[in-house]
Amino acid sequence: MGKIKALVVDDSKIMRSAVKRALDQLMLAEFDYVEAMDGEDALEKFNSEGDIEIMFVDWNMPKMTGVEFSRAVRDQGGNDHIPIIMVTAEKSMGKVDKALNEGGANEYITKPFTADKMAKTIGRYIDEDGQMVTDSADEEEGESKSFFKSILNS
Amino acid sequence: MIPEKLDEVKKIPAEITELVKESVINTFASISGEEPAFVPTNGDSGKLNGIIGNIAVFNQKHTLSLMLVLPKDTAVGISENFIGMELPFESDDMGDLIGEISNILAGDVAANIEKVGFRGQSSLPTATRGSDLTLFMPSKPPTEKMKFQGGKGEFWLNMALSESN
Repeated sequence: MGKIKALVVDDSKIMRSAVKRALDQLMLAEFDYVEAMDGEDALEKFNSEGDIEIMFVDWNMPKMTGVEFSRAVRDQGGNDHIPIIMVTAEKSMGKVDKALNEGGANEYITKPFTADKMAKTIGRYIDEDGQMVTDSADEEEGESKSFFKSILNS
Repeated sequence: MIPEKLDEVKKIPAEITELVKESVINTFASISGEEPAFVPTNGDSGKLNGIIGNIAVFNQKHTLSLMLVLPKDTAVGISENFIGMELPFESDDMGDLIGEISNILAGDVAANIEKVGFRGQSSLPTATRGSDLTLFMPSKPPTEKMKFQGGKGEFWLNMALSESN
């Protein structure tokens, strides 16, 4: 089985390491990591690597924020099947809404996160063989976004 | 609500300081698994051998500047909580870590103070490391210094509220 190619975007090297360590500890799959230190760097690597399968993206970064990066990726078209997981210190509901709806992200994890929280968030995107699944996740993702919307609207 | 003009404001409104205090406790509890205790004192850290994380939560009207003040031993201990191993105090990673903790704290503060009408966003964090450091707070805008005692040692949170320019 091949490794899942994951793009980890954060201006903090410590946080990139924390994301990778959490993913490795979960043993849901084997990952081949590509790292980027801001949105611009991430966009360049997303386009040059060509086969990124999942992305973990910080929000608050220099040059290009995580939401701007996420929007830029989605605006390219043809990549809605690639999960974008926002991993960020921003935790107000307005920010969650912005990331999911304006940014086109699929999921939202607040820092500091636990491996358990990471597992619950990304488990739906990885099958028992450690490979990416997207079809069933699309429906659950819709439910997840609806859940946030219901909180925001309540 | 915070008055638009701060000329006559002598102290940061208690509703803000209480929410920031709550955010400090929440943030460090989520990192280390135990809540730090607020220590009621005059809050002054004295001469510091350690590291300071600087960040601000701001909007068009106001800026809340936060200084997270960590003595060397506290910072090293917290690094073990955060990444599972002690970082050398002199390493670049230590600056990165304290910047990131400041960022996490500011995210919590921003979400918390929305409750009292301060809707802002976080700046990018910076960190300053050194020995024999004296921390000067601005003289005009209202400021507050809070001391905490956590499982890895004592630390301070200094803040200043100013009008955004």
